[in-house]
Amino acid sequence: MGTLRIAWRSIWRNGRRTAITVAAVGMSTLIMVVTFGLMDGMRIDMVHNVTHLVLGDVQVHATGYRADQSFYKAVPEPEAILDAARAAGVHAAPRAYGYGLVSVGHKSAGARFWGVEPAAERAAFDLAGKLAQGSFLSDSAEASRASRELVLGRKLARSLHAELGSEIIAVVQAADGSLGNELFTVVGILVSCGEDMDRSAAIIHARDFELLFVSGGRIHEIALNARGTVSPERVAARLEAAVTGKAELEEKKPEKEAGGVDIETWRELNPALSDMERLFGASMWLFSLIFFLAAGLGVMNTMLMATFERIREFGVLKALGSTPWRILRDVATESFVLGLFASLLGAVLGAACNLYLAHAGIDLSRYGDVFVEGVAFSPIWRAAASVEGIAAPSAVMVVVCVLAALYPAAKAARLDPVRAMTHV
Amino acid sequence: MGDSIVWLRAVTKDYGQGDVVVRALRGIDLTLDRGDFAAVAGPSGSGKSTLLNVMSGLDRPSSGEVSLDGRDLTRLSRSELSRLRLTRIGFVFQAYNLLPVLTAYENAEYVLMMQGVPASARRERVMGLLELVGLGGMEDRFPRELSGGQQQRVAIARAIASEPALILADEPTANVDSKTAAALLDLMQQLNEEKGVTFLFSTHDRKVMARAGRLIRLVDGRIAYDGEAGSLEALDADEG
Ligand SMILES: Nc1ncnc2c1ncn2[C@@H]1O[C@H](COP(=O)(O)OP(=O)(O)OP(=O)(O)O)[C@@H](O)[C@H]1O
Ligand SMILES: [Mg+2]
Repeated sequence: MGTLRIAWRSIWRNGRRTAITVAAVGMSTLIMVVTFGLMDGMRIDMVHNVTHLVLGDVQVHATGYRADQSFYKAVPEPEAILDAARAAGVHAAPRAYGYGLVSVGHKSAGARFWGVEPAAERAAFDLAGKLAQGSFLSDSAEASRASRELVLGRKLARSLHAELGSEIIAVVQAADGSLGNELFTVVGILVSCGEDMDRSAAIIHARDFELLFVSGGRIHEIALNARGTVSPERVAARLEAAVTGKAELEEKKPEKEAGGVDIETWRELNPALSDMERLFGASMWLFSLIFFLAAGLGVMNTMLMATFERIREFGVLKALGSTPWRILRDVATESFVLGLFASLLGAVLGAACNLYLAHAGIDLSRYGDVFVEGVAFSPIWRAAASVEGIAAPSAVMVVVCVLAALYPAAKAARLDPVRAMTHV
Repeated sequence: MGDSIVWLRAVTKDYGQGDVVVRALRGIDLTLDRGDFAAVAGPSGSGKSTLLNVMSGLDRPSSGEVSLDGRDLTRLSRSELSRLRLTRIGFVFQAYNLLPVLTAYENAEYVLMMQGVPASARRERVMGLLELVGLGGMEDRFPRELSGGQQQRVAIARAIASEPALILADEPTANVDSKTAAALLDLMQQLNEEKGVTFLFSTHDRKVMARAGRLIRLVDGRIAYDGEAGSLEALDADEG
């Protein structure tokens, strides 16, 4: 006769009380599983919204580029990085950046030009779909060149009074020191993509960028997006290996050019978002503390009543030679079995709710747009139905049940057998 | 007279302190021998339960010496005492003897389980014992499905299962009718005679006293009589 079986029988001695306790613990577990699912869904969505737009999981720059954004700090061998990304099955988008002036009619403003490969951006990121008006750049350099395509950030467009079809004059200082200027046509205006992009982004085809800046094909940034297939840390590690492996092959190269790149994950690139994401997880547990506490007190009450009713039995057991340890263990096991049963119930129901909410989601569109870090949030709130998200709160609940039983269990264990047996 | 199992010298037990001290035992000298079939009689409050509790280490004497199976109980720690009870003493109580969530079989096996006897060995012994106490075929019944007498039989089976040196029974027949009491006495006597189990039981019941091989009569915490149970004046002097 196993301890678990005896515990199972013991908890059903008072069926109604146990049923009520099971319902309370199960309900708390259910609420927590669903809350964890929804909050996790929001957390993941929040990170995806930002990383999938342009940031990516990992970015590669020339060493020190992010500090001064010098036009001359180009990624040393971008092809090698792109090859490594391709080998790892990760999407990669190369980008070049340069500053200049844009004007429409007599309105002008400073802009940051993005030279992008539209096809790569489309594959790796969501940017190409984030247009308030018009469309993104054409994939082919010729088509883009022919219609002098340019996409503007939302606020930059507004301050220039630019509309679709507006003619834009770009004036920049080219790499060779000459003055580059070119005429473009606005083909698209972005939705809100964060303050920086909204105010300054002027996106053009990489080929147009090369001609405008006489940049000689410089690449300043390679953004990689695994789209959830591999963790950002893994992607970074693989690139690191690829870069240093290459460095070993070409020993003759000077040290700084051999590596010559900074490989950083989104957490390093956007510490604010990373902190927010972590705070989010922590606050979920903080919130759940209340539920654990309430459930724990309920269980403690049940176990106190259950042990109080059986004082004489514990007295007999101690008289027979049962150690306090054994009694403590038996009472704790009862609570464990009760908690396990209730949490499993809550977890199964919670998992069902999460699967539904992950599939159908909650439509928030009628409450207006939500922005995180200036990026528009998806209007459908979906739960994340992850195994950990369901197992973690359920497991903690079982632990809480056992902990809540320790006080009643210790009381039972410490009973004096003679007094307990004469207890009325 | 064989060798002694329990040995008490000048044992006293006081309850409470200050002005309201109850002197439950007032100097008990007693030796119990292996194979004894002894009854403790005496009026209510005379100290019968206290005596049994002191003997088993459930209670500590206020003064005097107690030894069981050659070990000085006053020197043992609480856990050593509980270990001693587990291995050397069998208990049958008046009521609430059995765990209600366990079957007759599981109750009888409980002490062996606590001792760590392997399941297969337990099974063999307990099934035989239940047969012996007349409960063959009832091993899967829960206590609520058994009569008072049958429950006490389970308790007796549990008490002898680990083959202890001594079985202490505090009013084992108080909650059953006289026919059942006689049958329980038959069983205890049979175990005493056939297996040599040493019994010490307390009782109020004259018919039960008469069955004992040795009668110890307590009055006010002192031994008033210790001898043959057949002696009628000993029985008559007891007011029940
Ligand atoms: N825990 C206790 N605290 C105080 N007094 C006690 C305690 N236990 C027993 N007594 C007292 O000690 C005396 C002996 O009690 P005990 O229970 O040994 O008597 P008994 O012979 O078993 O009586 P009964 O036949 O009613 O069971 C009684 O006066 C009783 O009131
Ligand atoms: Mg008594």
